[in-house]
Amino acid sequence: MDTFLTYTALGLVVGAIYAIAASGLVLTYTTSGIFNFAHGAQAMIGAFTFYQARVVWELPTWLALVVVLGVLGPGMGWLLHTLIMRRLRDTEIVTRVVVTVAVLLGLVSLSQWVWNPQEGRVPPMLFGADSTVDLLGVTLRYHQVLCVVIAAAIAVALWWLFNRTRIGVLMRAAVDDPELLKLSGHDPDRISASAWMIGSTLAVLAGVLVTPVMGGTLEANALTLLVVDAFAAALFGRLRSIPLTFVGAVVLGLGSTYLVGYAPAEWTWVGNFQRALPMVVLFVVLLLLPHERLRGTATRSRERYQTPPLPRAALWAVACVIGLVAFGGLISEARVGTLLVGLSFAVIALSVVLLTGYAGELNLAPLGFAAVATLVAYHVGSDATAADPRLSLTGLVAGVAVAAITGALVALPALRLRGLYLALATLAFSGIVSAMLLRDTTPRTLFGHTFVIFPNGNILMPPLEVGPLDLADATTFLWVLSTLFATLGLGVVALRNSSYGRRLAAMKDSPAAAAMLGQRLMVLKLGVFALSTGIAGLGGIFMSMAVVSVSAETFGFTVSLSLVMLTVVCGIGYVSGALVAGLIAGAGITSLQLVLGDIALTHPEYRDTFDIVHHLLLVATALVGIGVANGPSGFLHDVFERQRGLARVPFVRWGGAAVQVALLLAAYAGLLGPALLLFVSVVLWSLLPAVATAWAPDRARPLPLELEGITTPNTLALRQRIDRELRIETEAGHARA
Amino acid sequence: MTGHPPALELVGAHAAYGDIEVLHGVDLRVPAGAVVALLGPNGAGKSTTMKVLNGQVPLTAGRLRLAGRDVTGISAVAAADLGVCTIPEGRGVFANLTVRENLLVSAGRRATLTQMEEAAYARFPRLGDRRNQLAGSMSGGEQQMLALSRALGTHPSVLLLDELSMGLAPMVVTEMYAVVAGLAAEGITVLLAEQFARIVLPFADTAVLMVNGRVVRTGAPADLEEALSTTYLGG
Repeated sequence: MDTFLTYTALGLVVGAIYAIAASGLVLTYTTSGIFNFAHGAQAMIGAFTFYQARVVWELPTWLALVVVLGVLGPGMGWLLHTLIMRRLRDTEIVTRVVVTVAVLLGLVSLSQWVWNPQEGRVPPMLFGADSTVDLLGVTLRYHQVLCVVIAAAIAVALWWLFNRTRIGVLMRAAVDDPELLKLSGHDPDRISASAWMIGSTLAVLAGVLVTPVMGGTLEANALTLLVVDAFAAALFGRLRSIPLTFVGAVVLGLGSTYLVGYAPAEWTWVGNFQRALPMVVLFVVLLLLPHERLRGTATRSRERYQTPPLPRAALWAVACVIGLVAFGGLISEARVGTLLVGLSFAVIALSVVLLTGYAGELNLAPLGFAAVATLVAYHVGSDATAADPRLSLTGLVAGVAVAAITGALVALPALRLRGLYLALATLAFSGIVSAMLLRDTTPRTLFGHTFVIFPNGNILMPPLEVGPLDLADATTFLWVLSTLFATLGLGVVALRNSSYGRRLAAMKDSPAAAAMLGQRLMVLKLGVFALSTGIAGLGGIFMSMAVVSVSAETFGFTVSLSLVMLTVVCGIGYVSGALVAGLIAGAGITSLQLVLGDIALTHPEYRDTFDIVHHLLLVATALVGIGVANGPSGFLHDVFERQRGLARVPFVRWGGAAVQVALLLAAYAGLLGPALLLFVSVVLWSLLPAVATAWAPDRARPLPLELEGITTPNTLALRQRIDRELRIETEAGHARA
Repeated sequence: MTGHPPALELVGAHAAYGDIEVLHGVDLRVPAGAVVALLGPNGAGKSTTMKVLNGQVPLTAGRLRLAGRDVTGISAVAAADLGVCTIPEGRGVFANLTVRENLLVSAGRRATLTQMEEAAYARFPRLGDRRNQLAGSMSGGEQQMLALSRALGTHPSVLLLDELSMGLAPMVVTEMYAVVAGLAAEGITVLLAEQFARIVLPFADTAVLMVNGRVVRTGAPADLEEALSTTYLGG
């Protein structure tokens, strides 16, 4: 009985922490329509600042609390709203998710800059660790009791705020219809700002309370992810109901302590399962949520993409392969390895383009599927006992197939739901994969075979060998991988231009209209999800081969989020967006750090400077993600928009291409290094539109198609062009063809 | 009327959505206490004129005056504070709030919740029965009643009604316009945009006809009735 009471009390304390974290999440979601992935990171900043104030500056506890809860919490909320969240109106869910993810990544790198992660910091309990109280024979610390009390108080206070106060009603009205709220004489911006200030203060409060209860030292990533676990509690209340969120949090807390207390000792997987519990619960809740009503039109969104016609895409595909292989010839073999990692990331990013850019569904954890594919390919397709092992084609196919099937299975519960819920399901899946599979280092027996899922927490992925192609050779690998990317990219464009692609676009724009036209949304979603996770799996296997030695961190949650974020930043509607994002995520940042590291080694006196640059680089990546709020179509969209003007000035365009080829030849002759080549090329192409404008000012400035014929003469040639752009087959078009 | 400045006045108003100009120099005077009907076919710029008057769309050229005061460039929030009450096109209610909460939002500085509730339930008893129901779950007519209730309790100085009849049953439309007539009788200035001119002409003091972003005629309702069919049908 005593042990039962102890487990119950401890479970309640853990549940209270979840409740505080989750209620802040629900508050910001209800009052701004934005699901704040950065909530955990805000909590983490709060925890570190409290430590700084209390332990380093030795302020009294009350003053430290005032600094954290009275200044930092509201201040951070106000800044987030004013600088970032305010600009997210009329954007698609993916943009909103990416922006908050960028804030998360930015806060984590910022905190690691300010607070060196190598030092251990043990945060103090409020009232100290020695003040305890006995309740029904269970000894609890004041701090733990305080957590439960605060959680209950917050639940009551928030319920009251939403339902009984004027500001609470205004906050809900601001999400419903900000324009109408303005007509009633209230400024929606000011109301949202106050909502963000309260939400942020709750996050910070959770941060101060959490670590002493969970034990151990302050750790930025762990704290950030703890709040991800609170997502499950928030979903209990469908992200709206505070009381149900509270119930969910208590269920989670009790579940995790009872699991540890009462599970049979021979269940060796319980430790891992306990880590995965919140994600498992999240998944189950998603299964049980009622069907959403189909929405007629998606919200007016600012995202715009154009798909190239197939012949042009084919031309680019060939240019891409030649360019990549030519560049690969210029760099050392070790750097080719980095390029390969970048390219395989690009393949994974391609899965995101297909799923999110074209079909409007979200997968936040493509690397979770990559991990599954890698594990299957490794176990099926390679002989670990061989001296110089190779991966067989069977392994590759099996890995891709299993990734696709897993994708379909993961999507199944969320198919009835849309956007955010599906995104959370993928997140939960990746959490389960990394907690259960990638930590499972004990032998298991299945169908009479005994094997270890993830031996030693690290596997060495052998290179693929198919007939004459042996990927152990870096040049062959580069040829194969760039051809694979180009082919897949071309395939994706062809798919988008086919009737299947148009059905996907219809589903993205208006599920209700698509359903009324007789589309079976379930089948469409399931299909595109399986296809996309299959591609992610394929990219994952190639990535593992390129990295060679993979561990759980290779497929981590933050890696997935960074990749998705970068894809959106570059342009999630474009295959080139996937290429650039993959190269930046997989190769760009690594090579820059390598270069900086080399310089720091040879010039130790600059070490501090390079350290700052290194941190700046990480924070800057996140800042770029935040910038998506201003240009949600991605930066490549703007680049294409400017390059389009070049088509009207062919002289400048072909001149640019000639200079590019000359540069490449010069690089082969050893006149300039690969880094300089890249730099000069980027400068060249970004300057060309300006050159074209200077050369032929009238022709170079592209006129938006919708203004053609209004500000310019409406001619037959123009009408034919409009037909062409809209892909309308007119009689004139037939006559020409 | 010469002593009083007009409640609303637009002088040479130009407005645009992006690069495309919609209003090409609109001159409009709404005398204090009058009911003015803004008529015109689809795309004439009636709704844009409304949005210019309540601060939702900024002027690119020209002036806006409220009771003689130059308020060009005013924000929607500030205009609402000055007593410009707009019932926008479509459903002007917060769908995810209850009837009561909707009234609480519109209460603001000009009236308390109790006053708003009294005025609304007295005029539309059906709203009183549904005070704790979500606005989005009511019928179109009931939602429009709730939207119109905003004007009932707050004593606005000017009431802007954009397509009040849209998507409503004829009986409900009649009921709505009876309420509007009552408000006008209390002395509230009303400007209403309407495609179905016949509904509003009987009780309008003045009618203004807009075509292609310009005011083409202003006059007594009876005089304009004839011009209407030719404009609408492009005769």
